[in-house]
Amino acid sequence: MEPTALAFLAAGIGAGIVAIGAGVGIGRLAAAAMEGSARQPEASGDIRTSMIIAAALIEGVALFGLLICFFLAFK
Amino acid sequence: MNLILAANLISIDPGLIFWKSLTFLLLLFLLYKFAWKPILQALQEREKSIDASLRRAERALAEARQIQAENERIRREAEQEAQRILREAREEAERLRQEELQKTRAQIQQMQAQARAEIEREKQGALDELRAVVADLAIQAAEKILRESLDADRQRRLVDRFLESLPANKN
Amino acid sequence: MGNPTVFSYSTWWRVGLWCAAILWNLGPRPGLAAEEGDENISEVLIHHTVDGYYIALEPIATIELPRLFLLRTAEGSWRLDAFGSTASALHSGRYVANYEGHRYTAADELEELIATHRHLYAELYPRDGELVLDLSITRHYVFGLLSALLVAGFFIPVARRYRKGTGRTTAPRGIWQNLAEVFIVFVRDEIARPNIGEKADRFLPYLLTAFFFILFSNLLGLIPNLGAATSNLAVTGVLALFTFVIGTIYASKDHWRHIFWPPGVPVFVKPILIPVEIMGLFTRHAALAIRLFANMSAGTLIILSLIGMIFIIHALFGALAAWLSTLPSVLLTLFISAIKLLVAFIQAYVFTLLSALFIGMSVAEHAHEHAEHEEEGAAPVVHAVPTAGETRTVLP
Repeated sequence: MEPTALAFLAAGIGAGIVAIGAGVGIGRLAAAAMEGSARQPEASGDIRTSMIIAAALIEGVALFGLLICFFLAFK
Repeated sequence: MNLILAANLISIDPGLIFWKSLTFLLLLFLLYKFAWKPILQALQEREKSIDASLRRAERALAEARQIQAENERIRREAEQEAQRILREAREEAERLRQEELQKTRAQIQQMQAQARAEIEREKQGALDELRAVVADLAIQAAEKILRESLDADRQRRLVDRFLESLPANKN
Repeated sequence: MGNPTVFSYSTWWRVGLWCAAILWNLGPRPGLAAEEGDENISEVLIHHTVDGYYIALEPIATIELPRLFLLRTAEGSWRLDAFGSTASALHSGRYVANYEGHRYTAADELEELIATHRHLYAELYPRDGELVLDLSITRHYVFGLLSALLVAGFFIPVARRYRKGTGRTTAPRGIWQNLAEVFIVFVRDEIARPNIGEKADRFLPYLLTAFFFILFSNLLGLIPNLGAATSNLAVTGVLALFTFVIGTIYASKDHWRHIFWPPGVPVFVKPILIPVEIMGLFTRHAALAIRLFANMSAGTLIILSLIGMIFIIHALFGALAAWLSTLPSVLLTLFISAIKLLVAFIQAYVFTLLSALFIGMSVAEHAHEHAEHEEEGAAPVVHAVPTAGETRTVLP
């Protein structure tokens, strides 16, 4: 296999793993947040804000992974 | 070729950064001066005025409550006063009635006593008069009788003696 | 919407219009695919997502944008070259093109490049001298300018109403003022104040500007033939840079101490923690830019891919299959467009929220936190900031 193809393959697999990781992370986060706000509806506003912040952080990590995949594919 | 184009997707164009920074700064300045400042100020002002009017309304409500309580108190007091006056009037009336009754009763008693005394006096008078009349009558009768049998002095003595023999308390 | 029949009629009308607008985008692309014979889907897709020196108003016209170049001539002096379009820059003879790794220098070669519209995707180099900065106007800049003008054109008249007195002491009147106020109050009470604390009002103008600029840009990206300025890494990078600069200018002493001498950890951990803190400072702002860019360009890429499916099916299975695949493809595109509408609001919110959070982290004076580290809920407003500040070591 030529190196470019390998790089593409690596980028594709990497992007997939990144997506899985971020998906699981945000899914667990959202589940916990919903449970929390169902248990304590009066705190749902605070929970939502913290959830978005935490989701953004997870997403940030995922985006970094994705960026590395991008570089792998393009450079 | 695709690679080059796709790499453009994440490449950063310095010219664009320059223009964008310039535009954004301008937008920031423009909006700060002509939009956010007046809007935020107005919002704050309105919030303050709403806050103030709420506080004013609260104060007015408290005042109204106080006035109402005051009115209620005054009304209750007036009612109590009225009750008291009524009760007093009733008591007074009762007292007056009782007094009047007493007075009437006393008057009646007094009048009774008076009447009784009058009657006694009248009776005494009548008795005295009667006695005198009877004595005169008896004298006249005795005179008539004694004109035939006795002189006047004898007759008188006889009658006096007779009269004295009469029990004094026989009335 | 008193009459339900009218409402549903107009809704369907809008849906139809939307579909028509999407199908409009399927029209033949002048220049690119037409003369190549077969449709190169990924090329079309990338061309529509990346920045360019033209605005495609298909099928009416393609407008070329002005080119500006800052040069350093061979004699060592500076020169600014300005052209009305890429074509006129090439016509002038002072520039050569680089397209697909091939250098076009001869005049007839350049003419051919222009005739086939490929010059729009070429890189331009001056014949003599050195290109210092390509200050050309790009389509993402035009979209950004458009949304900036829309934001200004929307809020300045609204502000005039407040200035006149409507909404100052009375309730706001009319759709636009109420709409503006809902969002402004949302940004103030849900984003700025809980995350920055008592200094929130100082940063509110920036947060509001960023929020509405991003929102309007994102919404512009939903209009066919236009694009979101925020689907460009340079644009989102500038926005994140503003957040970073504001956070750095207004940073409190505690912020610097937190970075260069992190409290509450043993001394031997500090050398490890300090670089992590410094890196976190930059990476979290970079993530801010990349998040917005990735979210906005992903939507465009997905929509174009879904539409491109029709052409791929056409190439593989013939015309009938392509016609049959049109309906599911357009319905999926409609669905993704709705998601994009949602994402337009969410990303504007997330960017502003995180900007507020980062600014709040750097301006917070949490002296009480070092003294009584375990005491909680002492300052409810400022508390959100140090809590987030503790997580910043793991923050990208």
